[in-house]
Amino acid sequence: MASRWLNERWALIAPAIAMLCAATFIPIAAVLVLSTLHYDIAFPDKISFVGLDNFKRLISDSRFLNSVGVTLMLVVIPVGLQLLCGLGLAIALKEKLIATRWMRAAFLLPSVVPPAVGGILWKLFLIPGVGGLSYLASLSGVHLQADLLGSRASALAAVILVSVWFGVPIVALLLLSSLESIPDDVYEAASIDGASWLQAQWCISIPLVLPAMGTVAVFQALEVLGIFPVIFVLTGGGPAGATEPLNYYAFLTGFTYLDFDYSAALLVVFTCTLVCACFWSIRRISAGRVGS
Amino acid sequence: MRHNLARYVYGYAVCFAFAVFLFSPILWTLSTSMKRPIEMFQWPPVIVGEPSGQHYAAIIADKEFSSALINSIIVSMSTVVLTMALSIPAAFGISHLQKKAMRRLLTLVLLLRAAPGMIYIIPYFLLFREIHLIDTRLGLIIINTMFATPLAIWYLSSFFDQVPREVEEAAIMDGASMVQTMVLISIPVARSGIAATGILIFIGSWNEFLFALTLTRDEAKTAAVAILNFMPFEGTDWGRAAAACVLMLAPIVIFVPFIKKYMAGPTTIGAVKG
Repeated sequence: MASRWLNERWALIAPAIAMLCAATFIPIAAVLVLSTLHYDIAFPDKISFVGLDNFKRLISDSRFLNSVGVTLMLVVIPVGLQLLCGLGLAIALKEKLIATRWMRAAFLLPSVVPPAVGGILWKLFLIPGVGGLSYLASLSGVHLQADLLGSRASALAAVILVSVWFGVPIVALLLLSSLESIPDDVYEAASIDGASWLQAQWCISIPLVLPAMGTVAVFQALEVLGIFPVIFVLTGGGPAGATEPLNYYAFLTGFTYLDFDYSAALLVVFTCTLVCACFWSIRRISAGRVGS
Repeated sequence: MRHNLARYVYGYAVCFAFAVFLFSPILWTLSTSMKRPIEMFQWPPVIVGEPSGQHYAAIIADKEFSSALINSIIVSMSTVVLTMALSIPAAFGISHLQKKAMRRLLTLVLLLRAAPGMIYIIPYFLLFREIHLIDTRLGLIIINTMFATPLAIWYLSSFFDQVPREVEEAAIMDGASMVQTMVLISIPVARSGIAATGILIFIGSWNEFLFALTLTRDEAKTAAVAILNFMPFEGTDWGRAAAACVLMLAPIVIFVPFIKKYMAGPTTIGAVKG
């Protein structure tokens, strides 16, 4: 069968792959080229080649350096928290408790919320003094009046919180499917040997899902920077750049300050870092899907 | 497993804590969307008061937002159709390749999605400005399709993998061509997976923000961006923003049970166990 279809197969595959490659690589090449040019959108005829000048500008740009730090914090901390909380939730959802079946579906809700809507939901929830968070705090006897989005540290914490809110459901779902692939016999054997439930989780569940957590971490690392709309709505990158990651800074540079060439240089740095960090993991993941 | 109190305590405590964390912003917004202005910031808050539909009436009557909702529906549906037309044949072909070629192509497909969306906005903005696709639905449909296709190929090829090869062989014995086999045998067998993929593409396009923000102005603006108009900069008029959020969420929420098992993305299919 396979040999008979040799040509037909490629005829089916080629259009989509060719279109995708063109639609992906040409724009990326265009950004690469743009990053070495002097280009002013008001005077599009006056293009000149400036080599690495745009990249030299990066080194002395304190706003760029700040955004690199913010990017790191907005990737590492949310992904770490998502893995931790997701594992905790997955272990709870694996137990056959009352209503776990509908909870498994309902808990997925945040992951399909449009990011811009998520930003509005949380902005409304965090209104100082009269928002939902203040109400929850008052139920537990805490008086909360502070404007969380007003100071640097708490604004960053709020963005991280929203990032965890968006990501935990998917992480829990992934880790749950990994947990459920552990055969029940293993737990029964542990139980016969006298292990308690907590010991079984610590010594069986957690070590056995660790490899899966690595894969999930890579995907979430690519995913969490998608909270751009949340930042756009919630903090606008502020206060004073405290929640301004590299992609947000690049967006402002391009579309607010209309400094397209410098924005391109920022994006080149951003993309290279991300793709290099993830290339090997992506290879491994598709090898796992096909079987080598 | 031995009866153990710890697992019940742990299970219920964790589920309760996450239920509060994950649902409270959504429920708070739902409640706000039905408050009358006078109740908006009463303290202690009126969680369930006398429900009022005035904010919903106001946003439906709002010309800009209702046309943005229509744009969202048209763009998302067209994206689903166009993505399917491109990725079903490709996925079918990929799933019939030898393992080595298949692995290479799937790696390429995933890599195509690895670069962040932000890098595409400048080139597409400049290109669309030249060819007059700025602020058109067609422009948004094209770019959403480009973003949806890699994941669609990834999902669909795994669904085509699950179609029994014997059934396809039987069709070939009867003289069917590859395209006929795909249309008459494999697509019907894989239909539930295809439907789930369609829903995922719809949601992705419905939620898309970055391109809708930069590549549209008025005519083709989608609801995901138009919703920002309702945000009060100062003051307390949150009712319409909340109602618009609820309207945007409604079409997605009903889909969640159907796509639950497919939602985890490329990682669930095979790789996680490794």
